[in-house]
This record gives sequence, structure tokens and C-alpha cells, in this order.
Amino acid sequence: MTSGASTMKRLASRAAALLLVTLVLVPQARADRKNALEGQPAVRHRLLLVKHRFELTPAFEASINADFKHILAGGLKLEFHITDMWSIGAVGFYGKDLNTGLNSRISGDLPDDVGPGDPTPTRLQWDEHLNTMPYYGAGYISITPWYGKLAAFSKFFVNFDFYFSAGVAYAKLENDCCSFDEDPAPGGDLEGGILPDNNPNNDPALNDGGKVGAYLGGGIHLFLSNWAALDLTVRDYLFQDNPSGLDFDADLAVTDDDNRFLNHLFMGVGVSFFLPAGAKRTP
Amino acid sequence: MTFDEDESKKPAAQQPPAEPEPEPEGAEAEGKVQLGSDPTSDAASRKTELGENRVSWQDIVVVVRKPFLKQRRLEILPTWGITMNDNIIRHYQFNAAINYFLTDVLAIGIEGQYYIKDLREPYDLVARQARRLPTVNKYNYGAALNFHYVPIYGKFAILDEHIIHWETFFTAGVGFTQSEVIPRDPAYEPFKNFLITPNVGASMRFFVTKWLTVNAGIRDYIFVDQFEAVGRTEVRADDAKQNADSSLINNVVFQAGIAFWFPMSFDYTTFR
Repeated sequence: MTSGASTMKRLASRAAALLLVTLVLVPQARADRKNALEGQPAVRHRLLLVKHRFELTPAFEASINADFKHILAGGLKLEFHITDMWSIGAVGFYGKDLNTGLNSRISGDLPDDVGPGDPTPTRLQWDEHLNTMPYYGAGYISITPWYGKLAAFSKFFVNFDFYFSAGVAYAKLENDCCSFDEDPAPGGDLEGGILPDNNPNNDPALNDGGKVGAYLGGGIHLFLSNWAALDLTVRDYLFQDNPSGLDFDADLAVTDDDNRFLNHLFMGVGVSFFLPAGAKRTP
Repeated sequence: MTFDEDESKKPAAQQPPAEPEPEPEGAEAEGKVQLGSDPTSDAASRKTELGENRVSWQDIVVVVRKPFLKQRRLEILPTWGITMNDNIIRHYQFNAAINYFLTDVLAIGIEGQYYIKDLREPYDLVARQARRLPTVNKYNYGAALNFHYVPIYGKFAILDEHIIHWETFFTAGVGFTQSEVIPRDPAYEPFKNFLITPNVGASMRFFVTKWLTVNAGIRDYIFVDQFEAVGRTEVRADDAKQNADSSLINNVVFQAGIAFWFPMSFDYTTFR
């Protein structure tokens, strides 16, 4: 019995020692063991489709959700990809305007002439106050944080990337105002002895000229080859504007105060050509 | 092997020799292929792979193991949406959908929508500036039976570190929408319309875990809505509805949501 008890005691002490070694040393060994993938690139043999390349993109875009005038525009995007993730670029567009359904209904329903004191604008006053956006563009920096590969119908395999842009927007706005008799002093000129006529419909529109603002954009490149890609984009040009050219702040006169910071949202498509035509590959 | 595009341009001498197409065997030969079962799991299949009738190169798929299988799983998808193509009235859509995947690329499902309206700046502006009151309907709720098809899948790296798998699917279905006239004159009674509503859409699904995905997409709900007539004089809703003006409407909605998948896990199968 005594010999058996001492054997049990020896076994128990050895087991305790083994457990201690396991508890202390194994975690240390695990900590020392490095994951073989640690620090390795997420993708090997990756085609560098944009790095150190110029991107030239003839593009077309159309306004989304414009109130009174849709813009259909054609233009050019020029971009240089400094790294695989960062690039600088510029876009410029020339646009033609098209009445929205809302504007067609309003304009078609307005009278050609109104009596004194009637706050309704004539069709001519309404149409000529509206502005359009014939020339516009932006300079920006872009980040391309996502790139990948997709399969369509398990047949077609396409490289793609997503990009986001921010920068400075410029737009030259135009209107047809005014072929009617203009109010010489919108809101009145008390020093000149002119009382306000409280009729904004005959005031100059004040919604034309150059505008500078902010630019935001995002898009996707679908690479058709190593040097060409389909470029699908959403662009937002934000600047002070008053699309209707009439009184917004209800002071019964058209002034600069009627302008407000507005989105001008466009969706576009283009074909990007990358130069030089050859693309390198990562190790 | 890297599956690089350049590989296909290598001389024929460097390509592996063409393998003969394997003869269909067992259940497959009898037309009893079950997509849910693993065709390589039984002993006979293993023998086929290692034996004389080796599988052909055409049987090697590009993405060998999809990270997320959907076949015979239920997707419960609550989404939030916003109308994109109406500059007078904006609707916020709260949508709940349940989809059952018959295969990994085909699903059938139902959805229900509830809308909250938001009159936008031009609604007041047109009234004040042009002295014209826009004709506007709001949407109350709707439902649809839908089919979904997944033709596009892929993966991308975020900031060159994290790999995310995703897919694009198309939706087509039919259901109904209830719209309600917002009377230009508050003294007039509003009337409601029950509208048969086909819908089509395209969405993306990003795989987060085995039971969670993030979905985003665009859906077009198409219907012929009944609007208050321009010269309405009828106070009562029934009379006004008989003289209503009709117009084809595309209610384009951007939707985003988080989907929960049941069962919450799956056994990997090697179907293509």
C-alpha cells in the first residue's frame, strides 16, 4: 500500500509538472510561430492595371433628378494614376438641355399674358428664367480602394475596380433672360426713390455665369482588356444655384440670396484607354 | 498554376495534354444528378478520380470552392429603400423579403413594402413660383412574388488586404401596390388605387459570414397609376376616381439591407 501510494504521488507530481510546462511553454511556442500568410500580399500575380498609367476616357453622362432641365453631356476624362490606389484627374463636359416632364407640364400650362397684380409668371418669363449647364467639369483626386475579378455566367471573367473621387467643380450656367421688360430695381431702391413692385417674375434671373463648388464622384472600371475598360460613374457637382431663376426665399424679389448650395447629380458611361498599353504584374 | 490570362497564350507544347471526356457513371448517367450531394464523396467517385477514367480539364472550375452556398437555404432580408426618380415626392421604403434558393443561382421569394412619403422642395416651389399645384400620388404599401437569378459572382480586395466575395443577381416579379391621391384641394376626398405591379431589378450581395450578407441594389416597380384629374370638381372620392387620369409610372428604388440566412451554416458540396 505504501509503495503504491508513493508511485501515485510520483505520477501525480510528474503530471502536474507536465501540465505546467504545457500551460507555460505551449502558448509561448504558439506566439513564436508565425502565420505563413502574415505580411504577404492579398493577391499574387496581380495585374497592375492602373499604376503609373494615363487614363483617357471619352464619356457621356446624363443628369439624374433635375427639376426643370435635364442635361445630356459628352466630354473627356483625363487621369494619371500615381500609384495603384491614388490618382489625379480632370473631367470636362459640354451639355445640351432637355425639358423635364415637370417643366413641360408647367410651361405648357402657363398663360401668355397675365393681368396686373397676378403673381403667375407668363410662359415667356418662366422659360427664360430657367438656367442650363452647357459647360462644366472638375479637377479631383481619386482613391481606388477595391479591385477584383468577376465571372459572368461562368463564361466571362473580368477585372474590375471601384474608385471614389473628390475635388473642385466648375460650371458655366446660362439662361435666356430676359426678352420681357425687366424690373430695374428688384426689391426696390429706396435711396433712388423706387418702391418694390413685389413681382419677382419680371426680375433678372441672376442664375447664370461661372460657379465654383465641390465635386464628388464614384465609379467602376470593368476591364475589357489590359488597356481598355468600361467606365461607369456617378458624379455630383455641388455649387450655388437657383435653377428656376425665380424667388426662392419668399421676399418677392429675385436676388443673390435665392441661390443655394445644390447637388447636380449625373450618371455616366465611358470607355477608358490606358497608356502605356502594357500592364505589369506583381510578383 | 496561377490561372493567369497569359497562360492561354502559351504555345500548345506547354499545355497539358488533352484528357478524354469522362463517361457519365452511376446516378449521373441515369439522369439522377442531385445538386445537393457531393458527387466525389462516395468511394466510386474517388476511384473515378484516381483511376483510369480521370476527370477532364474542363471539369476544373475557376473558383474551386465558393465561400458561401445558398442552395436550399432561406434568406430573410429586411431592406431600407429610397425612390430615385421623382423630384416632387420622395418615398422611403421599408421592405421585408423572404427568398428560398432552389439552386445556388435561382431563388423564389416574396416581399412586402411599406412606404413613407416626403414631399420635396419643388412641390412647394412650383406652387409658389409658377402658381401651379403638382398632381401627386403617394404609395402606401405593396407586395410581390419574385424570382432571382445570380449570373455574376466575383471577389475583390479592399485596400490590398481583405478579400470580399460578392455576386450580382437579377430580380423579376409581379405583385401589387396601393397608391393614394394627395388632393390638390384639401376639401376634396382622396382616393386609393390597387395597382398590379411587375418589378425588375439588379442587386449586389456581399458575403460577410456564413449566415450574414449585405445587399444593395436598384428595383423598378412598374404600374399604371390613377391620378386626380387636372380639372377635378368632384368632392367625393368615388366620383373623382371614375374621372381619374392614368399614367405609366416607373418607381425606381435604391434598396440596401442586411440578410440573414437559415440554416445558419452549410455543408460544402462540390457542384459547379
